[in-house]
Amino acid sequence: MKTLLYMALITAIVSIQSVLLPHISLWGVKPDLGFVAVCLIGLFGGELEGLLVGLVLGWAMSLFSAQDMLSAATIKGAVGFIAGLAGRQVAYLSPVVLVLGLLVISCLVGLITPFALKLSAQQNLWWALWTIVLPQAALDAIIGGAVYWLISSHFRLEQWVSEYRM
Amino acid sequence: MRMVNFRLSYNARRVALALAVMLVLGFLLLPGQLQTVFQTVGSPFGWIISWPLQAVAGIHDRIADVWSQYVALQGVEEDNRQLRREMDLLQEQNAQLRESAAATDRLAALLEFKKQALPTLVAAQVIGRDTGNWYKTIILNKGTSDGLQSDQGVITPAGVVGRIVKTTSSTAVVLLLTDPNNAIAGLIQRTRDEGIIEGTTHGVARLKYIPLLSTARPGDRVVTSGLVGGFPRGLAIGTITRIDKEDEALFQSAELSPEVDPNRVEEVLVILPSSFPTEGERLGAPKPKS
Repeated sequence: MKTLLYMALITAIVSIQSVLLPHISLWGVKPDLGFVAVCLIGLFGGELEGLLVGLVLGWAMSLFSAQDMLSAATIKGAVGFIAGLAGRQVAYLSPVVLVLGLLVISCLVGLITPFALKLSAQQNLWWALWTIVLPQAALDAIIGGAVYWLISSHFRLEQWVSEYRM
Repeated sequence: MRMVNFRLSYNARRVALALAVMLVLGFLLLPGQLQTVFQTVGSPFGWIISWPLQAVAGIHDRIADVWSQYVALQGVEEDNRQLRREMDLLQEQNAQLRESAAATDRLAALLEFKKQALPTLVAAQVIGRDTGNWYKTIILNKGTSDGLQSDQGVITPAGVVGRIVKTTSSTAVVLLLTDPNNAIAGLIQRTRDEGIIEGTTHGVARLKYIPLLSTARPGDRVVTSGLVGGFPRGLAIGTITRIDKEDEALFQSAELSPEVDPNRVEEVLVILPSSFPTEGERLGAPKPKS
């Protein structure tokens, strides 16, 4: 059941990311819903789920992008795994902390990605930082915080997580 | 304040760690082989995902149609007048071009040039854009089952759009001409100087390696040279807007305004392989002995 749920989530994210988000991008940059989803799943589902969902989601997103499959899957998988590790260390998580955490992790991932992709010489680190990494990190953090706030205000998140992980 | 405090079983952690290590090792040691495996396995997976993707794209198109046909009709009368004026101008140009074409046919027949075969084209619809921010690509609703493969050229009647870089059984990813990672062989139509066209980070294109003695100037049209696979000779790419000549540089470069606005492309044509001869084959160049 949970696998089906994750597959549906991955399908929905890929569809929205490639069809709808380009029309609502800011300064030509769109948020990475896959990154947000993997972070939240890793945070609340643990490192194994974060890793596996990250791998599959990164791979599925790379099928509809020029990015190579291995770097996409590895980066998303690593993000899910790290989010899972972080989730185990955090006792109290407020939306503000989550937003800041997403901002920092998105920036770090954004700075690593150009090296993994071996982009054109025109797309140097300084260009990447100002035109893609920072705007995308801001959008990721806002969307992640909003999703977290929506879920936690409508569902008893901590109880669900505790029962589920038992 | 929300509280999250939980534990993961020891076995699950070990599995996760083992998977992570295996993946990193595989990525470092066998990047090419793993890429092929993932690409092969991903083809049917891409077919499954393409259905909701096409459904979402269909809903989006319907909404866009309703908006453009019923809501956004302000200024249509003015547009209509403008288009009629342009049509008159184009009809006049068309007549002149017909005359030129007829003259070219006569001259070509005289010189016994082999005619360039018309390429076989497959029409496809744009259903999405790149899922990330690092590349400028479009997603087509046709894939390997329709004969599409990597490195095939993609055009519209106006000119070159880009090149296919990835396919699944029912979709294809096209790297746009304006992406800095793309490179297409081009030719300045007036001066016949050749160069390489690549995208820029500003969303336009740049023709590089123009000889220093070239008389290229703003307003010159650039077309495909046909020297590299994917595109036949003579497809419109763009118009030169600026020439950059640096001191002590070996070549000039030029900024191009692409003929096709990649942000507004909705339908495209894909050029199938081996449907047109290379310049060597077209001109009957002798083949090397094996």
